Amino acid sequence: MDDLLISLDRQNKLMQVMACILDIGATLLANGAEVMRVEDSVSRMCHAYGFKRADVFTVTSSIFLSATYADDNILSQNRRVAARGTDLEKVARANELSRRICACPLPLEELKEAVRGLDDAPVYSERFRFLLYGGIAAVFTVFFGGTLADSLAAGLTALVLFVAQKLGSRLRINSILLNTVCSGIAALTVLLLCRFGPGQNPDKIIIGNIMLLIPGLALTTSLRDMINGDTLSGLMGFCEAIIKALAIAIGSALVLYGLGA
Amino acid sequence: MENTVQIITSFFASAGFALIFNVHGRKTLWIGVGGALSWAAYLFVNDVTGNMFMSLMMASAAVVAVSEVLARKIKVPVIMLMAPMLIPMVPGGALYYTMSYLVRDENAMFAESLRSLLLQAGAIAAGIIVTTSVMTNFFAIYYRVKSKKK
Repeated sequence: MDDLLISLDRQNKLMQVMACILDIGATLLANGAEVMRVEDSVSRMCHAYGFKRADVFTVTSSIFLSATYADDNILSQNRRVAARGTDLEKVARANELSRRICACPLPLEELKEAVRGLDDAPVYSERFRFLLYGGIAAVFTVFFGGTLADSLAAGLTALVLFVAQKLGSRLRINSILLNTVCSGIAALTVLLLCRFGPGQNPDKIIIGNIMLLIPGLALTTSLRDMINGDTLSGLMGFCEAIIKALAIAIGSALVLYGLGA
Repeated sequence: MENTVQIITSFFASAGFALIFNVHGRKTLWIGVGGALSWAAYLFVNDVTGNMFMSLMMASAAVVAVSEVLARKIKVPVIMLMAPMLIPMVPGGALYYTMSYLVRDENAMFAESLRSLLLQAGAIAAGIIVTTSVMTNFFAIYYRVKSKKK
């Protein structure tokens, strides 16, 4: 009985280590890393902590880990990643932490501390991102051949777009519907700005704003997943990106069609 | 003139998207330079060959090659450099025009711009796929040879 208690305590510790490792993997997956990087990091970290075998399977939103410890204890845990975003600073930090752990495994408490530290990655302030949106749309409008007046209108529209996106995600609207609504709002704002404001070429201004909505990172990641042999995740990500692009097109199409522009 | 404007604006577009993706520090600047150079490469190849598919494929291949090498040098994930650098090539314009011709019932123009949209997306995907697989295999062999020598 005594022997069993000791092994239970030990098992508990091992499970906690696995939970931390999965936290790092989930941080990678949730912020835009490829499936291969997640699987590779998780299995390397398991080996660093003395597991002699680690089977990891990752699909778009879940990580399954089953690991055998040196004393033939077999443990397994899953992790579901609820929301996926793009925060490449977090990906870089989680990646760096995983490299550090593989070089020299940290004790459990320090490991927990380091995992908690991942959430403190610096982010740009809301105000900066707001202005950034305007700047990028203005730049893209010029890139696609718009005039300076157009770029001013695009900047203003992007500020509206930013607010709409923020409101939508606060209301927890489904992301595909959110894309449709946002591109619709952007198109409407552009038409208004062209009639009563500085806008001259509505098409160039709308394109400048569409560029902000197109899921560029998701497309790149899904292509890389497919090349790495993670065809399933790759295809799922690819489909999601295509559906989002269609949603964006439909949103502005509805407005343009409705107003007969 | 138009080309210069496009190259300059693609610098800001790439760097801006790097900031949106929460990239920090001097990397942002280099990502902007990479975006501008790859767009310049696109314009150059397009000028020489006149083939849009070819030039987009070359430009996205260049982006992938540069980011695979650079990412290993400065030890960051490849995707961090690659995704924002590819942004100026994303066919947002073609997507918009395809949609707008469809809504306006201009079937000939719709077919033409849909063809162009698929062509552009396909070219970028082809450039990424070919170069990524070549580069990852190259580095796998390179590291194996290097570790054997030690």
